[in-house]
Parts: sequence; structure tokens; C-alpha cells
Amino acid sequence: MGQGLEKGSVRYSVQVVIIGGGATGVGILRDLSLRGISALLIEQGDLAHGTSSRFHGLLHSGARYAVKDPISAAECIQENAILKRIAPNCLVSTGGWFVQMPGDETDYVEAWLQGCQEANIPVREIPVQEALEQEPLLAKDVLRVFEVPDAAVDGFKLVWDNAKSARRHGGRYLTYHRVNEVLRDGERVAGVQGENLLTGEPFTVESLMVVNATGAWADRVAATAGASLDVVCDKGVLLAFNRRLFQRVINRLRSPGDGDIFVPHETITIFGTTSERVDTPLDHQPTDREVQRLLDVGETLLPGIAGKRLIRAFAGVRPLHREDRELTGASGEGEGREVSRTFALIDHEVEEGIKGFLSVVGGKFTTYRLMAEKASDWVAGKLGETAPCRTAEEPLLPALSERLRRKALALLPCAAAEKMLERLGQEAVAVLETIREDPGKGQLLCECEMVTVAEVEKAVADPDAHHLADVRRKTRLGMGTCQGAFCTYRALPLMWREGEKYDPLGRELIRFLNQRWKGIRPILWGEQLRETEFTRAIYAGLLDLQDKGTTTE
Amino acid sequence: MNRRDVRRDGDRQADNKLNLDPARGEDWMHLDACIKCGACTAQCPVAAVYPLFPGPKSVGPDAERLRLEGIALAPGCLAYCTNCKTCEVTCPSSVRITDMILQVRRQEQEAGTGKAICRLGMRDNLLGRAEYLGRLGTLWPPLANTVLGWKITRRLLEKTLGISARAPLPRYGRKFRTSDIVPLVGETQSYGRGETESYGCVKTDQNRRSAKKVVYFPGCFISYNDEATGQAVVKVLEHNGFEVIVPHFHCCGVPLTANGRFREATANAQHNLGLMQPYLEQGIPVIASCTSCGLALKEDYPRVSAPGAQRIGAQTYDLFEFLWVLHERGELRKDFREVQVSLAYHAPCHLKAQGIGTPSVRILRLIPGVKIQELDAGCCGLSGSFGFKAEKYELALQIGSTLFQRVQEGVKEEAFQAVATECGGCQVQIEHGSGAPSLNPVWVLYQAYGLGISSAIG
Repeated sequence: MGQGLEKGSVRYSVQVVIIGGGATGVGILRDLSLRGISALLIEQGDLAHGTSSRFHGLLHSGARYAVKDPISAAECIQENAILKRIAPNCLVSTGGWFVQMPGDETDYVEAWLQGCQEANIPVREIPVQEALEQEPLLAKDVLRVFEVPDAAVDGFKLVWDNAKSARRHGGRYLTYHRVNEVLRDGERVAGVQGENLLTGEPFTVESLMVVNATGAWADRVAATAGASLDVVCDKGVLLAFNRRLFQRVINRLRSPGDGDIFVPHETITIFGTTSERVDTPLDHQPTDREVQRLLDVGETLLPGIAGKRLIRAFAGVRPLHREDRELTGASGEGEGREVSRTFALIDHEVEEGIKGFLSVVGGKFTTYRLMAEKASDWVAGKLGETAPCRTAEEPLLPALSERLRRKALALLPCAAAEKMLERLGQEAVAVLETIREDPGKGQLLCECEMVTVAEVEKAVADPDAHHLADVRRKTRLGMGTCQGAFCTYRALPLMWREGEKYDPLGRELIRFLNQRWKGIRPILWGEQLRETEFTRAIYAGLLDLQDKGTTTE
Repeated sequence: MNRRDVRRDGDRQADNKLNLDPARGEDWMHLDACIKCGACTAQCPVAAVYPLFPGPKSVGPDAERLRLEGIALAPGCLAYCTNCKTCEVTCPSSVRITDMILQVRRQEQEAGTGKAICRLGMRDNLLGRAEYLGRLGTLWPPLANTVLGWKITRRLLEKTLGISARAPLPRYGRKFRTSDIVPLVGETQSYGRGETESYGCVKTDQNRRSAKKVVYFPGCFISYNDEATGQAVVKVLEHNGFEVIVPHFHCCGVPLTANGRFREATANAQHNLGLMQPYLEQGIPVIASCTSCGLALKEDYPRVSAPGAQRIGAQTYDLFEFLWVLHERGELRKDFREVQVSLAYHAPCHLKAQGIGTPSVRILRLIPGVKIQELDAGCCGLSGSFGFKAEKYELALQIGSTLFQRVQEGVKEEAFQAVATECGGCQVQIEHGSGAPSLNPVWVLYQAYGLGISSAIG
């Protein structure tokens, strides 16, 4: 339960309710909070558990959209610069390359260069020889290489840092709360009602405004208020490789298609994606066919790709907004990319005469802040608030002090210290204090990603953590090579100490393993198959978890 | 099929599967093969006694993934890897763990980030150069040993260079040399650098015109600390009808690598390969009696860019491995006299890493009267020069404590009278840690062949 809310109360009253705890939702929460507008965000799961974490982790420079979607391109490059300024700890300025391969249309390069220039995206050509020295795994027959300011961004962290920043400014959020209905009072919205999914208790929020930022769920939420939206659910499959294969983002220089982006992300490389229309946001299970398709296409940029160890496959559902006039024409594979990725604000008063109800649809992670700014401008305008947007200037987190860094390096191995500081920022103080008092807690609980016992203990005790997966998103526990083989059982005693919060532990364990399994199943060969059999030996054999519940989420 | 063959097959398969890029340099270490089982850390002799060393898994494959991200480990941490290779022997996934650690140390050194305190840098420079120390020490061994025997010298060495005053520095002896030097035609032309002695080649007296030839790689310990054992090796080979060729090798490079002097190690390997190449081309086997030299020749030299590098791995034999091959072919002379001796055998880590079992035990068991039992009590802790370092001296003794205890118990119970082991470092450390005498197993064979009486056997 979010801080600052009266415990046990099931009625809340605020100026604005935001539904949806993805990047857009928390961005709006932070924006409104900085403007002094009281806002409450409601999320049915954990923050960033949906599309905002099921993507490449690519902070676009805009170059990908330079030809087909110049507005998106211009938005991206502006937001790219802003986020590098306000959220340096959530992203790594790896830079990105666009590489032209034999067979890729030559005309496209000219159009692309033109588009980049018009969108003010800085482009620098890299001599092929130099490029191959810097990225030895890149296909040797590459024709041309251009550098753009792409970056790698941590979706979990950016969302949480927005939420924490909002909280410091009075914003509140409730996770594991599902909105069942947007309430109406005549032609105005009056708030929302729903259910606390952890306790089963109903809750009601009274508000002047409701902002629907539920991404792929937006049409369903809008419908509860009697409004209609047309959102296309577009599934994108991604593969996670065991290690960094490239040091920078690698894009294929051609019309955006399947399997043309590699993003180095912390210790791993994420590769994708696909585009396929699905009926429901819940359809995010990668299929064997999609995985195979990605590997086939990826071979062009990374020869021998099929031999590189994969640790998982996952999928996200892009919420694409489709206006009525674009509805004509056949639907099918690849259609998703034809729909504009520029976001839309739908004022349901204009559309259907429902006052105080705004839906934010479409868009992309890179432009979440801009979407939030526009949505917040609309809200502020309706409320008659005049405070300007400050999110483009105000850093998400205070800068890390040099003293803290020195303290971390004194207490932990260098790599573990650096990773913890990246994840926690100033919050690392508490973890370091624990380790100082009890050096045993400086031991690594998750060895793949070098997470200490003390850090996991803190994440487990966090009031916002309700499941081991919530801890995973905060710590990277279970996201490395072993995919939870060792860290899962090691985390259990820490969870046990929290009493009933994680009760029963056995179910929590099985749920977590099944979530990991879901992503491993489509890539079950080679080294990861060995790893998985080993994991099975630990849990099914040593810990006798066989046939005791196979619930999947 | 021994470990060498398995490894190579494994490598080949992996190469095909992963489409490796050797320029990148990390794929051959099989990073992706690590399934995080932790067997390496469970078996690591250092991690077992030193909690501040996170173990081979952590500083090897775990850290490697972070290193690729640009986040390095603290270099101090890596210095606790003794390079014993127990982790690589243990790993069920053929991950080249020690190689990963060495590569990081190499890169840190090249980048200048791994700069230790100046004093320790000097110390490592010195300890890495067992060869030059040996040359110095063997100029006038009694003087060197006397001076090194003074407490004041040792205290000075500890204060100034961080070389432990208590560590068992081996005594210097007469330099190992066999009778005459015969310049080898062709060698000087190809690899001449103007230092005549280095291009020469020692051929032993006997069997001068024997059709059966071997090249002997004596190593620094034989060359500067224990030339008598070198002579025994030569005599044993000659007794079996071999002409023994001993080119003027430099140090194999293992001490240099262990002390972070990678460039020098590579230069030594290139020099030594140059000397061996003409013999390698003729298919003449190379024999190493030091297990670390042997391992380097088998595993490190094939990766050096120099002529002969392709052949050296397959043509190098540990002395007893070679003798066992002769035995299996029925070519080993078995004119053994009875030798009444009870021995314990300690397998050096770098012998285990060669994956050839314990051939010296098998050979010695062919000799009537010899009783020999394997101790199987882990690493002695010295690891070349690791245990000489002031800050690691105690740790080295701790690592070896299980072994020393077993030796002391065995001697007390009169189960054996001495410890046989091929590695000079192990011999010195076992004597230091347990007080029991140690010897190279070749002496037993030497005595059995009636070549002389070994004082060590008595």
C-alpha cells in the first residue's frame, strides 16, 4: 500500500485519479504532483509489470522513425536529450548504430539521412573497418554504419524513480488494486471503484478527473465509463542473450521490420522484435515460431546468433491507437508498424460528452514524459491550475554523493557496489549501513547480478513489494544466467521473516519459478537447457516440489 | 583419451557451434557454458580458507558478464587466485575459469588500472623472474644461500619488498648444465638475436647418435635450485636409450603470468618455441619434469603466435606420462633393482590440470619394494610464488594445512618416510609445513635402475 494513505480505509478522495502504473501513468503522477495537484495512481499489478518493462529497453534517438513517422522522430530526439539530463541513473548512453546490410534498399539510406536531418537527429558515419573493430561480432559484410544518440534505458527503474519522485511531492499510488469501473455523476466522471487484489476489499476513490493511462487495457477501462476507444494490441517478442554481445544499440538501416534491433542492457543483450496483432493484452507468451523467426532474421546482423546462449524470451503488448479513418484495409501481420506510434490524448468530453475523463493512448516509452506533460497540461487546464510543467528540468533523483560511492566500494566488491548504486542511488545508504553492522549481509544472494543479502532484504521488506517478482523488478534477482535457480530458494528465508506478507511461501516459490519457466520454455536448448535441467533437479528433486501446483500467471 | 584430447574435441565442437570470433577472445573461454553450479568455488583451495576471496565462479564467469558491461572487479580480489587451476579441472562445463581471471589481470595491467602499490609491483616483478634470480643465485650459490639465510636479509626483504621472512625460499645450487654445447644449424639463422649462448643446445653425452631423441625442458627449479634432479631425469631417459637434447630455454613463463607480467611471459614462450620448433617438426617429443612448465607447454604455448605453437601441445609430455607411454608400448626398461621405500605421493595442482592422472605413482608401483600411497589432500598452498608473499604466507600455510596434517600423521605412524611429488614448489612447501622430507619421484627410478643411490631415499 502506498505511503500516506490511511490504513484500512477503502475510500479515497483526490483531485485526479490516474489508472495504470506504467511509464505514462507514473509520469503523469509525478508531473501533477510537481504542480501541486493531488493525484492517486491505481495499478492492478506491480508498477511497470506490463508493457513498460516488456520492451527492448531502448531509448530511441528517433532515427528509427525518421522516414515514416517524422513527428515521432522529432519527439524522440527531444525526449532523448531531456531524459539523459533528468534520469542519468536510469539509462546508459551507449549510443546506437544504424547499419546497412547487403540487400537493404539503398534509397532508404538517403531518405533516412534526410529524415534525421529534418528531425534534428545528429548522425555520424563510422568507417566500416572501425565499426568492425569496435563491434567484432557484427556481420563482416556490413555496408554502411551511422551513429545516432540511442541509449539503453531501464524501464523498471525509470518507472519506480518517477513514482518515488512523485511520492516525495505528495503523489500517491496503490499497487495490486484493480479498477472495475469509472464512476459517473451525470455527464461528469466522479471517480473510480474497484478491488484491492491482495485483500479482496473493495475501494472507492472520489475525484474530479480520471486519467486513463492503461495502455493496452485502455479501451476496456474507457468502456466502463461508457466511452469508446480503438486500441490495437500489438505483440512484440524479444529475446534476452546471456551476455553483452554488442557495446551499443545496433539497428538495421531499413524500413522498420522484425528482428532489427539489439540493445545491450546491463549484463545481457535484448534482441527483437516482432509485430503481431493479438486480441488481448494478456497474450504475451512468445511462441516457438516467433523465436525462430527472430533468430533467422537476426543472423544477418549477428552471424552465428543461434549459437549464442539465450536466457529467455518474453513479449510485450504495444497499445497502438488507431483512428477510425485508419481502420480501413486488411488487418494482418506487420499492420502494427503502419499505425502511427505518436500518442493521442482523447478528451472524452469532445468525443462522447463525458466531462473530466481523459485517455492517453499510443505513444512509446521514450516519449512517456511528453505524453505525461500533455496529459497534465490538459488536467491542469481543466482544474484552472496554472503551475507550469517542471518534469523536463527537475532530475528524478538527487545526484549520488561521492562519499556514498566511496563507502560502497569500501564495503563491497567493486562490481557489486557499482550495480547496487545504479539500482538504489541514495537509498543505498540503508543497505550499506546494514552491511557495515553485519558484514555477513554483504554476501551475494544473487551471484549472477551481484545482489547482496542486505539489498534483497530491503527490497523484500519494502511496503510496495507483495510478491517475489516485485523484488525481482527492483533488484534483478533471478534475471541473470541462472534464471532463479539459486537466488529463489535463498530469498525464501528473508521472505519468511516478513511473516504473513508472503504467505504461503511455497505458493510464492512456485509462482516465481513458473514465471521464470514461462520465458525459458520457448528457448529450451543448448546451455539454457542444461541450466533448466539443473534448476529442475534442485526444485523438483532436492526440494521435492513436483506436482504441487502448476499455476501460471 | 586424456583431458587434453577431450578438451580439444570440446573446443572444436564449441567453435563450430558458436561460430567463434577468436579476435574477441572470450568465447573460447566458454563463458556461456557456465550454469552457475558453484562446483569450482566449492573446490577452490583459497576460497575454502579465505572468506574474503569470493571464489573462482564469482571472479571468473560471474564477473566476466559484468566486465563485458564495463564494470571491473577490484584488482586486489583477483590477486588471491593462485592460478592452481583446480576450478578448471572441476568445472563440469569446461569453462576456462583461470584463463578468464588471467585475462582480466592482463587487461588491467595493459590499461594501467591494476597498478599495485609500487613496492608490491617491484616484488611481483622480482618473483615473476625466477629465472634471473636463479641466474644470480647460481653464480655463487653458497654466498646466495648464506646471505638469504640471514634473518636480517629476510627481514629486509619483507620490509622492502613484501617477501615473507618466514617463507621457504628454495636454496640455490649448481646451475643445471650438461657437458657440451652444440650450436644448432638453422636455429640461429631463424631466431638469432645476437646472444650466442641462448641459441646453443646441450646434448648429453650418451646416446649421441641414438635414433631415439627427446627434448628436455628442465624449468627454473631444476636449472637453479635442484640441478641434481635434472641430472637424474636425464640419466633415466638415457637409460631408456634416448638422446636428451636440452636447448637453452628461458623460463616457461608461468611465474611471469602469475605475477602479472604477461608480455614477458609471451616473449619467453616465443623464444622457447623458436628453440623447440626444429625438433617439433621432426616429431621429437618434449619432456617436462616440472608440472607447471608442462602445463604451460601443453595449454598456453599453443595459443602463442609463433612457429611450433600448433605442434607443442600434442608433442609435450610430462616425464612420467612419457615413461608410462613407453611402458604401455613395452619399451620401458624394467631392469629394476628392489628399492625398499615407503612413500606418500602428493599430486601437484598443475599435474591434475594436465588431466593425465598420476603416472609417477603407476611407474613407481612397477618397482619391487616400493610402497607408495596417494595423499589426495589438496593443494600445498605455495602455488609457485603466492606463498612467498608476506600478506599471503599464512594463507598459503592454511591452504596446505590438511596436507601437512596428513603428512605429519603418516610419518608419525610410520606409514611412510617421505613425500614424493614432481613439483619443486610443493616439495619446498611440504617440507616447510610438515617437517617431513620430500623428493622428486624420479629419484626412486634412478635408484631402481642402479644409476646411483639417492640420499633422499636413504
